[in-house]
Amino acid sequence: MSKHILVIDDEEAVRKSFILALKKTGYTVDTASNGREGLDLFMKKGYDLIYLDLKMPIMTGAEVLMKIREKDKAVPIYIVTAFHQEFFDQLKDARKAGADFELLMKPIGIEQIRTITEGILEGELILEGDG
Amino acid sequence: MYQLKLYITGRTPRSQKLIQELKERLDSNCGGNYTLAVVDIFDDPDSAYEDKIIATPTLIKTLPPPVQRIIGNLMDNERVMAALDIKSLKG
Repeated sequence: MSKHILVIDDEEAVRKSFILALKKTGYTVDTASNGREGLDLFMKKGYDLIYLDLKMPIMTGAEVLMKIREKDKAVPIYIVTAFHQEFFDQLKDARKAGADFELLMKPIGIEQIRTITEGILEGELILEGDG
Repeated sequence: MYQLKLYITGRTPRSQKLIQELKERLDSNCGGNYTLAVVDIFDDPDSAYEDKIIATPTLIKTLPPPVQRIIGNLMDNERVMAALDIKSLKG
């Protein structure tokens, strides 16, 4: 059975890049353009992996993360963000509450999305060298 | 001497388990012949840029060369050791 991925991001270009990266993998990808829509999808369907933008209108990524974790402590959630302190500050409350999540750097390329997703979902290791 | 750095996202139960299991495997494979620095990306985002980290958790082997980064199922530490060519000292 195909694995299901949810991408929640208010930028259409980002949503499209995830769809493009994953279209030949056999995974089913749903997208949401804001946190409320993403939460609705999450409540209706089960997902194997969630990519979540941090800075969004209506609900922030941190708020969405906490709501998802109230229902599901296990699904892997990757917060897609630049690695800057100002963005990390938004995740302080989630960290204090013990919400589990990982980080994926933004911007990220198509090939990196594909390999990292396969690594997460198939339990594979991705080895990279310098150069 | 193996020199390793593990990037994590906070001291969560999951990351603590990963650290513990990696250390156990490294102790078993290398004895005391390694260093493992644990970097919480929230405390040191600049290092993450310098080390070209794109996702957490990531384990980097900086010595011996070549520098290698590994992402994915790091809990499978036997395969992690094999991928980074960290050989057991035991015959």
